[in-house]
Amino acid sequence: MVDVDNLKILVDKAIEYGMEKCDAIIARIISNKDSQIRFSQNNIDISKRWNSLQLQLFVVVKGQKTGSTDRPVSTVEDIKKAVDDVVRYTAILPDSMFFAGIEDTTGPYPELKGQFDNKIDEFSEKAPSVINSVINQAIQEGAKRVAGALMLRSEHFFFRSSQGPEGSGKRTAYDLNVRALQNELDYSGQGIACGTIPSQAEEVMLAAGAKAGRLSKQAIGAVQGTPGTYDLILTPTVAADVIGQIPDMANPFYIMMGLSPLKDHLGEQIAPEFVSANEDPLFEGGLDSTAFDWEGTPSKTIEIINHGVLKNLVHNTTTAKMFDSESTGSSRLASLGMGMKMLLPGSSNIIFENGDHTFEELTDVTRPTIYVTCNWYSRFQNYQSGDFSTIPRDAMFLVNKGEMKPIKNMRISDNTMRMLANIDALGNDRTQVFWWEVRTPTVIPTMRIRDCRMTAATQ
Amino acid sequence: MKNGMDLAEYCIKVGQNLGCSYVEARYVKDLARGLAFRNGEPVSGGFSPSEGIGVRVLVDGNMGFTSFDRLEKDLAKESITTAYKMAKNAKRKTPIDLGEPVANKAKWKMKAKESLIDVDVDTMMEFTTELNKQMVGLASFVVMFNPRVIDKYLVTNEGAEIEGQHSYILMNTILTAQAPGGSEQKYLDLTLAGGWERIKEANLLENVKDEVERLKKSAETAVKVEDLMRQPIDMIVGQEVAGIIAHENVGHPSEGDRIMGREGAQAGESFWRDLKMGVSRVGSNAVNVSENPTIDKTSGYYLYDDEGVKSRKRELIKNGIINEPLLNREFGVRFGKESNGAARASAYNREPIIRMANTYFEPGDFTFEELVEDVKLGVFMRSFQEWNIDDRRYQSKYTGSEAYLIKNGEVTDTMVKRPIMETTSVGLLSAVDAVSKNLTFDFPGTCGKSDPAQGVPVYAGGGEIRFRGIKLGGVG
Repeated sequence: MVDVDNLKILVDKAIEYGMEKCDAIIARIISNKDSQIRFSQNNIDISKRWNSLQLQLFVVVKGQKTGSTDRPVSTVEDIKKAVDDVVRYTAILPDSMFFAGIEDTTGPYPELKGQFDNKIDEFSEKAPSVINSVINQAIQEGAKRVAGALMLRSEHFFFRSSQGPEGSGKRTAYDLNVRALQNELDYSGQGIACGTIPSQAEEVMLAAGAKAGRLSKQAIGAVQGTPGTYDLILTPTVAADVIGQIPDMANPFYIMMGLSPLKDHLGEQIAPEFVSANEDPLFEGGLDSTAFDWEGTPSKTIEIINHGVLKNLVHNTTTAKMFDSESTGSSRLASLGMGMKMLLPGSSNIIFENGDHTFEELTDVTRPTIYVTCNWYSRFQNYQSGDFSTIPRDAMFLVNKGEMKPIKNMRISDNTMRMLANIDALGNDRTQVFWWEVRTPTVIPTMRIRDCRMTAATQ
Repeated sequence: MKNGMDLAEYCIKVGQNLGCSYVEARYVKDLARGLAFRNGEPVSGGFSPSEGIGVRVLVDGNMGFTSFDRLEKDLAKESITTAYKMAKNAKRKTPIDLGEPVANKAKWKMKAKESLIDVDVDTMMEFTTELNKQMVGLASFVVMFNPRVIDKYLVTNEGAEIEGQHSYILMNTILTAQAPGGSEQKYLDLTLAGGWERIKEANLLENVKDEVERLKKSAETAVKVEDLMRQPIDMIVGQEVAGIIAHENVGHPSEGDRIMGREGAQAGESFWRDLKMGVSRVGSNAVNVSENPTIDKTSGYYLYDDEGVKSRKRELIKNGIINEPLLNREFGVRFGKESNGAARASAYNREPIIRMANTYFEPGDFTFEELVEDVKLGVFMRSFQEWNIDDRRYQSKYTGSEAYLIKNGEVTDTMVKRPIMETTSVGLLSAVDAVSKNLTFDFPGTCGKSDPAQGVPVYAGGGEIRFRGIKLGGVG
């Protein structure tokens, strides 16, 4: 079996061998040991364990042809074969219109804190009993049925570019999603928790279970909501999906592909002055924090929205040259369909500034207001304009002067850019969100948004 | 495949020696190549072969799963032992039972006259260049092209030994048509199943060209028609929309694991939970929806599922009444039945779970013209863009992409801008009064479920469907 210490040997071999075959090559080997516990109906359904050692290569051949591969390896011979295969395939491709160079200067790299848990293996062994306690917490708070998943990740990697940069890293992460349900299908609540040090997170996991149970109980008796225009109070979970994805789209590749609403908005006021959001790969405890990007450019914090103004897009070396800008250290090897990856700019963690309103202040309203605690299935009619809809799930409440009455079966049918512009107040409860519906770790507070359109089934 | 098959068999011995009552090992070898284009220009290419083994074990009624991607005995043993320990610690109150042993031995393949493995890059480039040409004139277009061949070998301690091969030409496009009044976008999945010959058989280039022209026309001419919002109207949907409805409003709620709550925190539960098979009515008599993995040249094709169970057609709704859920072995036992062959795993590193294959409205007796002829005021929604549905699969929304006004029995040239059907599943299916005889599978897609996510290729379709008395939605 390959030891973590041997990662460098394999990467060096890939670079040495690859430099004989192509103009430039970046190699990264990632060793993962992940595990997951899934549960439903108050029982653990399955316990999973993944072992993987993946070689990722990006190659430049004959000046402008680019290719990638991502495959398991364990021996030097595997490495050579991977290089040979990807170079042979790339050599017969046409020139890429999306390549203008890679990083050619070396470090230094910033130091990251709080990214690795030395006790993760011990925690993995006790995880089933923690999950049974989480289930009990939810039941104690009023749930009848509890479902969810706890994922534990552990990663070591080594990387080197033929242009000079090299580096290594290790990180751990956990994410827990708990859903508590009553016997009826209509009454449920969610609790989530995520972070980088699972062995210190038992308390927050139990709290997530308790929160889910509590919300499911509060949802009992929910009645059909009435379509109309409402102010919405979005928990961090919902805000991360609906609003958090806008700074995630401050990406020239998405703009070029017609998938971003931020085209031609640089320098414009797109949100109220009290809204600021960064792309921050250096955020302590961020699930996707990294000291350097995929090309080896040092990471830095990038202002995306500053006091409501769209300030920057994220760039790698290629898009920086295309947009007459500088790399922001945001190069990622991103998936493009099955079996294909390419170097693209991308986010790590999206970090919103915290607000200053307590929950009581946010809910002390006189206008028709709905509090949405969870959502899923966001889909766009038009990515460029931001026309979309998403479905609140779990507890949802009609709010009136701090009092909350459970409602159900409604849909947010609106426009994300308009909603961003209509943010009315921010909570002081900034939380990291990462779950099924939110795949870019997003640290964001509760948001209150004016005049949102809520629709419902006509029959 | 020999080393991988040998190691899969070794995994069975490891699991048995640990004392597992059930051990299943699935070796998967997957070859995916890729090309990506923006506005006709190559962006990148990829070549990603992978292989690995996924193992499920049952320990005192607790399920464990592990996967590894290097074909090494030590790693196999370590991984299975870890999965065994984790499963043993789970301490389920209700043990998992997989029912009667399954010991099928078989080999099957998706039919392919021209194997995708043998198609060289020049041929792929030649085709994708032509594909891109069909989109010229749009404001922007993105093409992702991924031929993929997957070989699988399943072996269990019960004696099952199944070799299978999938062959897909995965193709996805994002099209943007710009007009003075704004843009219209369409995500178009063109995936074909089988060999390279499928591209010609499916008349793909001509179909894409037509699709592009219609999207441009929609961006340029579609208008809001106020009359349609004032009263209930009749809605006729094309096969693409019929397919998404069959998939979302019928296929998903029929999944046995959802009905029993196993997807509770992820894809959700099902409104079928509170209904009775063979008794409860969810639609009109005209609604017959089936699921069938045995249809050739479809993405959902397989002859044995990933638990070694022989596949067969499932009739989910018969004459408007729910008839049969989709089941794997575990949930076959829970329903007091047996598996109907619905277990699929998207990769070696995913557990097999209950999935759809090809889901469709059974064809009716009508021609399309007969559906239209007595509609006084209505919409023909030929395709959709935005859609979603709640996690019990009861509250759905479909927003039209290409839609035409129907007036006095004729589909007019007036294109309707983004008509919305926002209904409950029962409200929608109860409004069906006729289905055409023109069964096609116009909705290839990737179905998502589970955590970690498992996207599996599926097909969906039907004949055109007529709904009576639909009150258009999106109003708030």
